Amino acid sequence: MLDQILCIDDDPITLMLCKKVIIKSSFSNEIITAQNGEEALSYFNTIRYVKNKPNQQPQLIFLDLNMPVMGGWEFLDHFNSPEFSEFNTIKVVVLSSTIDPEDLEKAKQYPMVIDFLSKPITHSMLEYLKNKIE
Amino acid sequence: MKNKTNQVIIIYILISMFVAIVSHKLLQEYISDSNNQFYNFTKDILFIFFTGIIFKLILSKNDTRNIAIFEKLKNTNDEIKESNEKYDIVAKATSDTIWDWKIQEDSFSWNKGIESVFGYSDNEVGDSSKWWFDKIHPEDSIKMSIKLYSFIEQKTENWQDQYRFKCANDTYKYVLDRGFLLKDENGKAIRMIGAIQDITKQKEEEQRLKLLETVITQSKDSIIITETDSIDGKIPNIIYVNPAFSIMSGYESDDIIGKSPDIFNSPNSDSNELEKLLDAIKNKEECLIETISLTKDKEEYWVRFSMIPIYNSENELSHWISIQRDITDEKNQEKEKEQLIRELTQNNKDLKQFSYITSHNLRAPLSNLTGLLNLLEDIPIENQELKEILDGFNKSTHLLNDTINDLVKVIIIKDNPSIQKEAVLIKEIFENVFSQLNFQIELYKPIIKLNFEKVSILNINKAYIESILLNLLTNAIKYKSENRKLKITITTHEIDDTVVLIFKDNGIGIDLERNRDKVFGLYQRFHNYPDSKGLGLYLVKSQVETMGGTIEIESEVNKGTTFTLTFKNKQQ
Repeated sequence: MLDQILCIDDDPITLMLCKKVIIKSSFSNEIITAQNGEEALSYFNTIRYVKNKPNQQPQLIFLDLNMPVMGGWEFLDHFNSPEFSEFNTIKVVVLSSTIDPEDLEKAKQYPMVIDFLSKPITHSMLEYLKNKIE
Repeated sequence: MKNKTNQVIIIYILISMFVAIVSHKLLQEYISDSNNQFYNFTKDILFIFFTGIIFKLILSKNDTRNIAIFEKLKNTNDEIKESNEKYDIVAKATSDTIWDWKIQEDSFSWNKGIESVFGYSDNEVGDSSKWWFDKIHPEDSIKMSIKLYSFIEQKTENWQDQYRFKCANDTYKYVLDRGFLLKDENGKAIRMIGAIQDITKQKEEEQRLKLLETVITQSKDSIIITETDSIDGKIPNIIYVNPAFSIMSGYESDDIIGKSPDIFNSPNSDSNELEKLLDAIKNKEECLIETISLTKDKEEYWVRFSMIPIYNSENELSHWISIQRDITDEKNQEKEKEQLIRELTQNNKDLKQFSYITSHNLRAPLSNLTGLLNLLEDIPIENQELKEILDGFNKSTHLLNDTINDLVKVIIIKDNPSIQKEAVLIKEIFENVFSQLNFQIELYKPIIKLNFEKVSILNINKAYIESILLNLLTNAIKYKSENRKLKITITTHEIDDTVVLIFKDNGIGIDLERNRDKVFGLYQRFHNYPDSKGLGLYLVKSQVETMGGTIEIESEVNKGTTFTLTFKNKQQ
């Protein structure tokens, strides 16, 4: 079981669904959510200066692509930059309902993206990811 | 001369008779008969002496005259001889054919040229002017004879004419004929001598040049000829423009000759292109540019402009030829086409984006629904009515999900015009497809006949051909006849550079008379089967066409269906 994961999605129902399935599958202890890329980045900026809890950072990110304010691609561009170098070992799973084949190709360009999965999140999907991460 | 002799004799007789009568009268008067003998003798002596003197006088006078005449004749004769010799030498030396026409007698003679130039042997050559006239080309003969007779009647000073003269082999030669007249002392034309020159080569060359000239004068392309050297870094000065150039640019020949084509430049001319042209001129190289030019009225037009250096036989640059074409329309069309392509590309992109976004926006909430329904599965529901409602909700959600997934497949196929092709073994594809349909094949045990002996390898997209065959096989099983065992025959063969795959079943068939247009349509269903969505054949057709192939169907209700798939089998 993971300690902490981050779900980035603008749709509250999707986030709710994520939480429920993750809890049911005992995938992670703690689930943090962000409504878009910018929110997620500011979360990383806050935990950067919290020194007393050293290992408390997400071990996996579920990332949606189409979001207002800052979408998934823009988030990945920032996250992949030197500015967030201390975090870019965190694995990212793109979880989207996109069907554009170009998105799939594009996702491969980011080293931290380990998979590109289609919504909705399911129990079997989490089992698959568990095996993959281990 | 005869008259003179008669005259002399008559005079002599008259004088002699006169002397005889006078002497007789004198003798009668003064002399007696006794002396008759002596006086008669004296009289005869006197008479002979007298007539002798008269003869001497007359003859000596005649003699001197005869000598003069003889001398004159001799001279004339020598002159004629010499002239004849000269004539013969000239006639032999010249390549001209000489003719000699005695007009009054209409006797006509030719020199050797009639044989060597025109091929007539001696016995073929006629000896009258008619023969000559007969050999003149009918189109030229009237004009020629008018000129000739007006010359003979001495209305004109000189005679020379060009006409076509028939050879012995019935071809015609262009000739230049020049002649002069010999006149008698009364100035009447008695003889005409002419020289015929074969100018066929010159004439043909002239006609060839005229023909070639029409290329320049009649061409719709503008043609300019310029000098060799450029002055002050300009294009060399113009020495000729053709009519098409005047029409294109508005400049008449006189306006422009001696000037540089630089005056056509517009402020909007492409300076890079002009630079290129000037460099080519400097290096004496051929060049082709496209630029904007100005007409005389300062109107702009697009021109495709070439400069070609022309070298003479000494390999020195002799002039430049420039061919120009007004390509304004072409350019405009090109611009319009580009604009259209841009718009279409943009539209297409927008539509594609639209379809992706639409399907994404449909899929996003739908995936939530599916996810939520998955969560419900683990929660026991007591209320029977709620359970039924949720069941219906569940089924509808999954149906909607399937439909959207199918559409997504279509969008992806349609959006992929150039897909990867590879050489695949047909047998291998079928093994994959059969393993996917293992369950159904075990269940219905269809008779499947495969014949890939003629063509065993296809150059094709593997995923697509698998999907195509899977769809066709699924259909064949789904729509089999209840009355007979399902039999499927699949064969391949090659026609030219295409591969034909024939897929035949003995199922329930489709009524093509009613449905031919719809068979491959989206969401077209021909049988009310519960799991039939009307998407399979649409996908099959899309995939076949994406790979550059075609698909045709033949079907008879309750007999079966045959699909004929054709693929180009060229390696790309």
